[in-house]
Amino acid sequence: MTSTLPAWFTARQESAKARYESIPTPKRGDEQWRFANIKQLKFEGLSGVVKDTDTSEIIARSTGLQSPAAKFVFLNDEVISTASSLPENVICLPLAEALEKYSELVEAHFMKQETRLGSAKYAALHQASVKNGLFVHVPDGVEVEGSIEIHHWLSGETTVFPHTLIVTGKSSEVRVIEIFRSTDDTTPGLSIAYKDLYAGPNSGLDYIAIQELNEVSRMIAIKETSTDRDARSKSFILNTGASWARNESLSRLEAPGAHSDMLSVSIPDHEQEYDQRTFQHHVSPNTNSDLLYKNTLYGHSKTVFSGLISVDEKAHHTDAYQTCRNLFMSDDCEANSMPGLEINADQVACSHGSTSAQIADEEIFYLQARGIAPDQARQLIARGYSVEAVMRLKNEETEALILKFIDEKFARIATAGS
Amino acid sequence: MSLLIDNLHASLENGTEILKGVTLEIPAGEIHAIMGPNGSGKSTLSKVIAGHQAYIPTAGKILMDGADISEMSIDERSRAGIFLAFQYPNEVPGVSNANFIRAALQARLPKGEEIDAVAYYKHLYAQMDLLEMDRKFTGRAVNEGFSGGEKKRNEILQMIMLDPKYCILDETDSGLDIDALKIVAKGVNAMRSENRGMLLITHYQRLLDYIKPDRVHVMADGQIVKSGGPELALELEAKGYDFLKEPALA
Amino acid sequence: MSFQDTDSAVLDAETKDAIDVDRTKGDFKFPENHKFDAGWGLTSATVDYISDVKDDPDWVREFRHKALAVFESKKTPTNWATTDLDNIDFDKIRYYLSDGQKPKRSWDEVPPEVLETFERLGIPQQERAFLAGVEAQYDSEATYSNMKEELSKQGVIFVTSAEGLKEHEEIFRPYFGKVIPTGDNKYSALNSAVFSGGSFIYIPKGVKLKQPLQAYFRINSESFGQFERTLIIADEGSEVMYMEGCTAPKFETATLHSAVVELVALKGAKIQYVTVQNWSSNVFNLVTKRGLAMEDAEVRWIDCNIGSRLTMKYPGVIMKGERARGEVISIALANTGQHQDTGAKMIHAANNTTSNVVSKSISVGEGRSTYRGQVHIPKHLKGCKNNTECDALLINSSSRTDTYPAITVKGNQHATQHEASVSQVSEEMLFYMQQRGLNQGQAMSLAVNGFINDLVREFPMEYSVELKRLIDLEMEGSVG
Repeated sequence: MTSTLPAWFTARQESAKARYESIPTPKRGDEQWRFANIKQLKFEGLSGVVKDTDTSEIIARSTGLQSPAAKFVFLNDEVISTASSLPENVICLPLAEALEKYSELVEAHFMKQETRLGSAKYAALHQASVKNGLFVHVPDGVEVEGSIEIHHWLSGETTVFPHTLIVTGKSSEVRVIEIFRSTDDTTPGLSIAYKDLYAGPNSGLDYIAIQELNEVSRMIAIKETSTDRDARSKSFILNTGASWARNESLSRLEAPGAHSDMLSVSIPDHEQEYDQRTFQHHVSPNTNSDLLYKNTLYGHSKTVFSGLISVDEKAHHTDAYQTCRNLFMSDDCEANSMPGLEINADQVACSHGSTSAQIADEEIFYLQARGIAPDQARQLIARGYSVEAVMRLKNEETEALILKFIDEKFARIATAGS
Repeated sequence: MSLLIDNLHASLENGTEILKGVTLEIPAGEIHAIMGPNGSGKSTLSKVIAGHQAYIPTAGKILMDGADISEMSIDERSRAGIFLAFQYPNEVPGVSNANFIRAALQARLPKGEEIDAVAYYKHLYAQMDLLEMDRKFTGRAVNEGFSGGEKKRNEILQMIMLDPKYCILDETDSGLDIDALKIVAKGVNAMRSENRGMLLITHYQRLLDYIKPDRVHVMADGQIVKSGGPELALELEAKGYDFLKEPALA
Repeated sequence: MSFQDTDSAVLDAETKDAIDVDRTKGDFKFPENHKFDAGWGLTSATVDYISDVKDDPDWVREFRHKALAVFESKKTPTNWATTDLDNIDFDKIRYYLSDGQKPKRSWDEVPPEVLETFERLGIPQQERAFLAGVEAQYDSEATYSNMKEELSKQGVIFVTSAEGLKEHEEIFRPYFGKVIPTGDNKYSALNSAVFSGGSFIYIPKGVKLKQPLQAYFRINSESFGQFERTLIIADEGSEVMYMEGCTAPKFETATLHSAVVELVALKGAKIQYVTVQNWSSNVFNLVTKRGLAMEDAEVRWIDCNIGSRLTMKYPGVIMKGERARGEVISIALANTGQHQDTGAKMIHAANNTTSNVVSKSISVGEGRSTYRGQVHIPKHLKGCKNNTECDALLINSSSRTDTYPAITVKGNQHATQHEASVSQVSEEMLFYMQQRGLNQGQAMSLAVNGFINDLVREFPMEYSVELKRLIDLEMEGSVG
């Protein structure tokens, strides 16, 4: 980073460093790490060796949407490519640059919320170590057409701290898609990512994260969403990669009329573990949130879902829903669900549901009777199972992109003969 | 003997005035119909008569057989003889239909007096037969999982069982097929009596083919704007509500 | 939701009488008359005192001392449970109070004030009407224990736990502390150290009891801890229903009730355990209950919590034999000043085992109800099923409810389903009912009874009538 970093930022990095050191490492018995694989938090093993990487090759591999509104490619938190056709008044810059040019705007929103779902220590580490990421600021009344696309590549035995800060002004619209990948299949890396999302009054903010790191890398992704009056925030997480990924997603419904959709599809195989913690925090009355997480488990994989709907004392007239479904595709996988409710208001409609099941023989039989081989039939049903959550995005182009990653994962599973 | 609504005004809590001076008299023995476009205040009128808390009466009176019922609570009005057949009857999960009606009847008895269960069921079954309702409805929770037509029939069943003095039927015909409509009409016609007044709130003239009203009123923007005989309903059906505006323009 | 103060004040005289009678039904006490009193606080000397008075065999004395060490080593579980637990002062509790008499086989021999206590609670009357046997505990020990003669002829054992461990050691000892190990939690350890009272029941092979056995637990003394210990063993193909009720007077100080109940249903046996908990609102009710179900056996917990200040109770079933079934049916009503923290634990440990949890809670006033659940289906099992439903009803705007289930499934041969919802009696529903002539209180009672109706049916008739009445009474004050 350049020497022009604003003083507030360096000061906060300093205090974050101290915080990181003072917060104890999560241990067995911590409620927020129940069923979690604590061993994954040992980060010491990484050598830090970064290989020389051909950036032009990485840029070429950074495929996503046909024509995104803007496209940024990061390699180990360094910008290697930028392109933008955004309206001029939309700020969309690498964080390092934004800290120079829009210091006050960044300061107003940067990591303002307390990390409550277990990874406060790693949020502090992120804050102490963050070098780059993307800052998006959409002014009042601007509807961004198309999507902003961000590619994060992880290369070498290293740790990255990608940061994403999105702020939408009144009655604006934006969609941001982030794709996390590794440059090769064999080098273990670690990504500790943090997403700050602020949906301003009556705005629409869609955020999509596609996590396809190689199966020896790990990821912690912390997401804090704040949804203001009459705003609509929608977030989607796809997990197909990494050996272990922990997603902590907190959504605060700040003012009447706020709506939050929280969606996720995870398809773990082999020994992959996905640990997802969510929090639907209804601070204000007349707000609603809807969560749908769908897991399809192969091999010896494991998922943890811990979700909480929390309705504050004065947050009457709240509608909040939470559903986590697990589809078992092997006899060796494990799913843990902890769907929770804490209701302190009335005139609320809240529910949660959690199921685990496998594909019924009759379903396979039906497809077989139409001439489809059993393996293919199972894959087809599993894909259809994931599609339900994807379709909620209600944007064809984005859905198609996510389904491409899902199909690639299914193809890998099929070839491996899991 | 009549239900007299005299210059009734009512507003929502936020101050929006919905009823802007409704005057209407339904004498015992007569059936009146109120027609009017959506949002004219018809359903609100029925709820205000029943005493719904969401509406604040700001002026006027509701007199039942000369006695002012405006200060009475919802259930007091009900026990005094006001019955409202709901447009969208509520579900009461876990409470069986038979127990619900029985509790409502019990609430009308003097202290210490118990309903005779045998006579109650005999009477209930007879009314259900009239309305062609299957006996299984007694054991099902009130309105839970009922079709639209079943709910409306259930409203009429409750009306017959509670034997009110004045009945207000809020769009009881909406969403009914012709067979269900005929059954509902049969129930209502069976209730016709010298001692009872009825007010039908409806959108459609069709209902009035089966239940002949003595008077028809047209409501618009929170007021009764026109009253007449049954022929008024036919005229409305033919010309639509817009023709009401013509005299005003002329 | 706020209710207008319309009709709630207009209660008919009959209802008023019923309330007056009932509110005081359990709220009376007699002067203490204890020959044996272990004194205040808990030390190793307290344990020895209890062992001496009860003339415990050595293995029991040793068991108690080990448990005391476990109790002292365990932290109060406020990392997940309410901090209200910190308000229990273990030094300000008396751990053993009794008159030193053996339980009587006839009510005539029971001391007059104790007899009057149970008569006012209706126990002898119920015994005559529909029970196969009754045990009545007064403070630390059973004062009465008897069952129908034909049952003893069939080999049924229904005695206090003290008699069980001495006179039937060969059946008692192999299962005692095995379903719920001492160290299961802090309060099971506490119970293991100082237990007295409770029942031991053995139902021989193939014997199916037509009528229920009942235990009634009564606390009469202030600042007292009741620690009964119950073990029920249903031998192959047998069936039994056990019911328990409890009351205490309202004291100024906190009272502690911490029981351990272990059930063993051997092959093809069926145990139903029914509880109507109506402790006064100063009682900490911290209870550990678990059943072991062997092949084709069934354990059902039918649990209703209306009273106490804080109840923490999560009845469990370990389904150890193939096709075993476990069930928890639970109703909780939390009024102002109460926290009903209840739930269920379903541990599947054999193929084709099925479990079902249905929990309904009602929070009134500033009451708080919490559901905690655990479902565990380990690896390499096949055909396990769990269904969990928990529904919460909130009555007032300051009522509170929480739901914290945890479901672990390993392997793809199983099916689990969990659903939870929170709702309230809507104003529109009340308007509808009031329009039919019911006053607000009646409408609310009807709605609440409707909410739990399907569960109330699971209780024996005599209990369900009582239950509905208790709930009606609790609801009467909730409106207006």
